[in-house]
Amino acid sequence: MAPLDNVAPLVKVEGLTKSFGDNQILNGIDLEVAAGEVVSIIGPSGSGKTTILRCLNLLERPDGGRIEIDGQMLCEDGANGRINFAGKSEIRKIREEVGMVFQRFNLFPHMTALENVVEAPMAVKGADKAVAKARALELLDSVGLSHRADHYPLQMSGGQQQRVAIARALAMDPAVMLFDEVTSAVDPELAGEILLVMKQLAEQGMTMIVVTHEMGFAADVSDRVLFIDHGLVIEQGKASQVLGSPQQDRTKAFLKAVLERTPMAEENADSPPVETEESWGTGAGVDESEQIASLESEVARLRQELDAATTTDEPTTDEPTESGE
Amino acid sequence: MSDFDFDIIWTTWPILRDATWISIKLFVLSLILATAIGLAVALMRMSKITPLRWFAAIYVWIFRGLPALVILFIAFFWLGNNLGLTPFQSAILGLGVSSGAYKAEIIRAGLLAVDRGQYEASEALGFTKVHYMRRIIIPQGIRVMVPNYVSNSTLLFKSTSLATVIGLNELTGRARQLANSTFQPIEILAAAGVIYLVFTSLMTLSQGFIERRFALKT
Amino acid sequence: MDVGFIIDIMPEILEGFSTTVRLFLWSMLFSTPLGLALALMRLSPLGPFRWVAGFYGWLVRGIPLILIMFYVFFALPEFGEAFLLSPFWSAVAALSVWTASYQAEAIRSGVLAVDQGQFEAAEALGMTKLHYMRRIVLPQSVRIIVPPFTGNAINTLKQTSLATVITVPEMSLLTTRIISREFNALEPLLALAIIYLALTTVLVFAQQGLERAFRLKA
Repeated sequence: MAPLDNVAPLVKVEGLTKSFGDNQILNGIDLEVAAGEVVSIIGPSGSGKTTILRCLNLLERPDGGRIEIDGQMLCEDGANGRINFAGKSEIRKIREEVGMVFQRFNLFPHMTALENVVEAPMAVKGADKAVAKARALELLDSVGLSHRADHYPLQMSGGQQQRVAIARALAMDPAVMLFDEVTSAVDPELAGEILLVMKQLAEQGMTMIVVTHEMGFAADVSDRVLFIDHGLVIEQGKASQVLGSPQQDRTKAFLKAVLERTPMAEENADSPPVETEESWGTGAGVDESEQIASLESEVARLRQELDAATTTDEPTTDEPTESGE
Repeated sequence: MSDFDFDIIWTTWPILRDATWISIKLFVLSLILATAIGLAVALMRMSKITPLRWFAAIYVWIFRGLPALVILFIAFFWLGNNLGLTPFQSAILGLGVSSGAYKAEIIRAGLLAVDRGQYEASEALGFTKVHYMRRIIIPQGIRVMVPNYVSNSTLLFKSTSLATVIGLNELTGRARQLANSTFQPIEILAAAGVIYLVFTSLMTLSQGFIERRFALKT
Repeated sequence: MDVGFIIDIMPEILEGFSTTVRLFLWSMLFSTPLGLALALMRLSPLGPFRWVAGFYGWLVRGIPLILIMFYVFFALPEFGEAFLLSPFWSAVAALSVWTASYQAEAIRSGVLAVDQGQFEAAEALGMTKLHYMRRIVLPQSVRIIVPPFTGNAINTLKQTSLATVITVPEMSLLTTRIISREFNALEPLLALAIIYLALTTVLVFAQQGLERAFRLKA
């Protein structure tokens, strides 16, 4: 599961910048993700976390910087100060390798769950119908929804729709999966079923980049946590480190606000302040100090398990990047 | 009204029936043309390529701004003469071009009503634009278009009567000729009206069926 | 194409301009109160009112305007001397009847869009129906009615061209006379198209101005 040091990173981002009008969202993001690694990106609303994900498959076109996925260049700064993008067909090729799961599912409402899952393999990869269908049923089964194969999206709960969306992305056999606040649009009691699927996926060795408000998930599943604020990586490292003993004041303030469930001060948020809806998946109604304690012990236990299970080195141990004030 | 003469309607029925056939053929062929034009112009108006957008906007401005009759005149007196079109072909062209401008606006509104997330999911899955417009966006847009599309098509069916001014013997023109030659305009014109009502009412009724056909399953 | 010729024949076509505009204005003058009455009838609690207005809409919107013109011009006089109208007034009658059916729909849906709470509040205050429709409901619905109402008006302007079929000397008829006299279709038709396009474009701008004027002050 843990990557070898001598292997080139699967996802490589350098100096990524992006602004919407006068609003500078990304201020130079560097990120490397190795094959098999699970990276969680946390941070206040408007910090730019979602924009990073959307740049990784060019749903958003960055203003500057370089993105490379599995050795293929997606964009890079040109000589004349303008950014150059890969050609249309290369972009589509790279998108095949990058699966994305959206906050609002974006299932195709006029197609059944099964049709949603088989559409892309058949249309983009030219997969044989019978093969694609068998694979889709397998995937639906793995997300616990084989009995919903012939249902339409609007006939399913939010949690079920999101699991179909995960299966739909997996059907392309992507090298990396992007998750964009995938539990934010579902009822809190349904978030768990989505997180469980993601956890299983992580255990199978899928490379994942997860933008999330679910601190419990970030602590439990990720190899590495990035804290982003004002379009910069403020702090990154092992989950236990960033969440358990943060070094930077802004990280501490953010985590404190999350735990106190008070909205963060949002200076550059272009959307109205959103309540930081950190739910702990399992911890509804549990006292906060208990939650912190359980989080810490959970992180410790997971780390021990991980250490015991792997003979190779720890996953990436980048120095926490202090990339700006 | 007591002397409403049904006999004259039965007597002239074969003529009215043949004329109705011409109206129906005009309608179906110009509807196909209008839909094709409407779809093309709507996609051009949503294109990233600026000249295409301009062309489409100008098309809609001109052909919605002109009376259908004037468009029919142009198709008949000018194009028809220069290209050697029959009155029937001119009528299809004129009606199709005119109605196409309205169809374009209806189709565009339908496509714009499709959620942005559908475009994003399609792009993220690596679909080509042609593929996702055809499989994902248009099927969903149709749901929004159906009511306006059907009522606009009802309008087109009635507009086939304009072909009478370029000498085509469709239902309205024939009815007027018969009214003159029989001196019984009350009966003949009423009969033509009833035939139109039957078709337009059927089309309005079919709207419900079509809407159910394209409804999302919940 | 001869631009000089277009300019030369413009005045001759414009002789029909005032006829076109008078057709339009008279039709608006008659159709607006008729449309309002029909809309209120359709909204009435009294069944017969609703049925009559519903039947009217189904009938008039189900048959082509040309056929209505033919009926007024050729068939109505058969019912008695009193119904013998000149071509101009036959066209005004047909256009008014036709436009009213569409305006009734525009007004009705505007009234239905007013919040139910407004009706309830007015009733709770003891207002008579006449009073609250006039003072509370209609002023609020005007905002919603303006766009479809002016859209229908623009349509009516374009449809005045159909008066050609009953020999009203409006612009389209004059143009066809020029075409047959000069054996040349392109320039006269372009001149006619330019005039119509200018007229409808001005009306579209007026429509947008009206919409802004009636927007709710927030």
